[in-house]
Amino acid sequence: MNVLPDADQLSIQRAVAEFLQEECPPALVRSCEKEQAGYSRTLWQKFAELGWLTLCLPQEYGGQGLPLAYLGLVLEEAGRRIAPLPLLSTLLPSVLIAKYGDDEQRALLHRVGRGELILCYAVTEASGVWQVDQIECEARQEDDCLVLNGTKYFVDNFLDAAQCLVACRMVDGSGKSKLRAILVDTDAPGITIERLEPLAKDGECVVTLVDVRVPQANILGAPGRRGEVVAEMMDLAAALVVPLMQGAARQAMELAVAYVNQREAFGQPIGGFQAIQHMAADMLNAVDGTQLLSREAIWRIGAGLPAAVEISQAKAFANERCLMVCRAAQQMHGGLGFIEDCDINLWYRRVASWSLRAGTVYEHRERVAHALLDVPGKVRLDVPVLLPEQVQA
Amino acid sequence: MDFAFSSDDLALRSEIQAFIREHMNDEVRSGLALASVGAESPPAVEALLEKIRKRGWAAVSWPQRYGGQGRSRLAQFIVEEEFHRAAALNVGGGGTGAPAILASGTEEQKDTFVPASIRMEVVFCQGYSEPQCGTDLAGIRCRATRAGEKYVINGQKIYTTNAQNSTHIFLMVRTDPASTRHAGLSVLLVPMNLPGIEVRPLWTIQYEPRAPLTTTYAEPRTNEVFFDNVEVPVSCRLGDEGDGWRVVQRGLNLDRVGARRYLISVMRDEDLVNHLKTDAPGIPQKRRDPRVRDKVAELWIEAQVCRLMTMRSVSIDEQGGEFVYEAAAEKVFAPEHGVRATEAISQILGPVSQLLNGSPYAVDEGIFAHNLLGAFQSTVNHGSVQVMRDQVARKGLGMPRSR
Repeated sequence: MNVLPDADQLSIQRAVAEFLQEECPPALVRSCEKEQAGYSRTLWQKFAELGWLTLCLPQEYGGQGLPLAYLGLVLEEAGRRIAPLPLLSTLLPSVLIAKYGDDEQRALLHRVGRGELILCYAVTEASGVWQVDQIECEARQEDDCLVLNGTKYFVDNFLDAAQCLVACRMVDGSGKSKLRAILVDTDAPGITIERLEPLAKDGECVVTLVDVRVPQANILGAPGRRGEVVAEMMDLAAALVVPLMQGAARQAMELAVAYVNQREAFGQPIGGFQAIQHMAADMLNAVDGTQLLSREAIWRIGAGLPAAVEISQAKAFANERCLMVCRAAQQMHGGLGFIEDCDINLWYRRVASWSLRAGTVYEHRERVAHALLDVPGKVRLDVPVLLPEQVQA
Repeated sequence: MDFAFSSDDLALRSEIQAFIREHMNDEVRSGLALASVGAESPPAVEALLEKIRKRGWAAVSWPQRYGGQGRSRLAQFIVEEEFHRAAALNVGGGGTGAPAILASGTEEQKDTFVPASIRMEVVFCQGYSEPQCGTDLAGIRCRATRAGEKYVINGQKIYTTNAQNSTHIFLMVRTDPASTRHAGLSVLLVPMNLPGIEVRPLWTIQYEPRAPLTTTYAEPRTNEVFFDNVEVPVSCRLGDEGDGWRVVQRGLNLDRVGARRYLISVMRDEDLVNHLKTDAPGIPQKRRDPRVRDKVAELWIEAQVCRLMTMRSVSIDEQGGEFVYEAAAEKVFAPEHGVRATEAISQILGPVSQLLNGSPYAVDEGIFAHNLLGAFQSTVNHGSVQVMRDQVARKGLGMPRSR
């Protein structure tokens, strides 16, 4: 037990932090938003050249084979600078491909590591509800092809990605359905795209698939292991957005503290007022709390331990607390917080969008309650609890 | 990063749990309750403490040359946690006295106090707060006047918990009468049996009826301690004269974190979940109530943050790091969570949670009502949450001293 990052982890985190501080100013974030560019190509290429896309990919496919905790630390720093990089959308499918993919699929990871291949994933549908039973996008087998029909909402980076990992429901002859994650070329015939305008202004899309044909080999996972991929995809999506939220909230807090320390009112810097300081102290506890929950969840995934409850803990806490931090950071800026030219709104908008993706606070709390209350036996805080489904497995 | 306990840690935990199952009986529990009001401990308690000492659990992380086990801080935490959970018993090697003596004492003081603390022949109470100053310790007035090789102590301390069972007081005094604020303070290790020391009980709101042992702040009694021309040799001083502020900082920080603080803040969450899993009247309905489920999960997640902040403190301490703001931050989050949890739990359980120990129909010896009485205490002692927030803002975020 040591919750602090070790020297190697800190050195990579510091390197990413220094790079992004230099290369990713708010002006870059703004220009990507304005030009409706999903990401900055230059920044992405430099980021890839520094080897940071390969940290947690397998060594046989050009990766460094490090534990997932490293990716968590990179995402914390990307979140801090709200960097316009398709990190989450690319690396989430990559982690799953590394774990479940066949040789051909895994060969894609070489290109991912070099920054040549952007990926994305699609889970949510019209209801917006973050639950596997809401997945209705249908995959039907026809000859040796799969035919996909359905609509995926809130898909990140689809416009820039070459392939999308789509959560589908496959119906067999007996009428039973199974969840499958299927890799789909984003330019396949039958796909139409509607660009959304979310708070994050990051090019989220609605993607409609009409009779989209993909080879059967595009199903992720060997037979017998395919069923777990979609649930894991959803867990990873929730787990890996939290470090982005935490990093962003931490930066918003630090910007606000720097502001109140120099802004004078009533004859002194307002950062000297206890009312402001006490708000700031609560902000620090909120980001630190998120960080601890998030690092624990991601560490557990990396260690191959059950992590569903820990992930929901982190996402539920982050949804409320990181947004509170960003809102308080705006409020500390006074009227400026409402002015477009003042950068602080960039952080609030991102975190607000992230808090609404991969599960809301109530959805994740219900999952925690499910594990706490619907499994027999006494609980103890330091003994991880499991969902009833995990207990059966 | 490593968020799991090692197999050695888990083995130690099971060993203590097995010990507790075997030795912690009703006679011991009622004996501990008697000691908390100042009555003589019955032989059963002494026998238990002797067994704990023999196993080395009184001083888990202290150096072996002074009789400790020289194990990790995490091992100490595990011992502290299990004994606190079992009977709110402070065992393990944290707390006032020996840890500070190990850090700042002379070799003679270490040899005198540390082995004796392990044998529990020396028990310290904390002489910090005074009627005019609590969290603002720089306002201390109790004075020790130098007279040759002696100090003469005059003044008063308050909220001196367990003074009635202590052999010594870890006394913060002003040794330089011309000084103000942090300068001119010193720490003296003063035997409680000296002429001129008077201990008067202050009965708490848990006195009547008596709270069950594992209540959040079950203590029925704290004390005032008066010093009237009490003479001690200069060799009683811990650290340099005028260096008292520095001497107490680490100890103050450790009192703000660690097993006890964590557990008094979060054990209510476990109680609630475990209670909701029973089939007591009305409970299955509450278990299915979406409002209850949402609140339970919200509290549980906050409690996990308390646990992780505690592990953060243990990790920092284990690696010889200094607390910057972390101890103060945890001292805000955990106690305030404890209050939120206690109050929410009462609302979930309904009107039975107002029933005190001994009342007809009281649940679990009235622990839910006694928790309501005790919960806020953790937001006050060892530095109020307001002053802790000042420290977090200043030390953690570099904000200016507040005006």
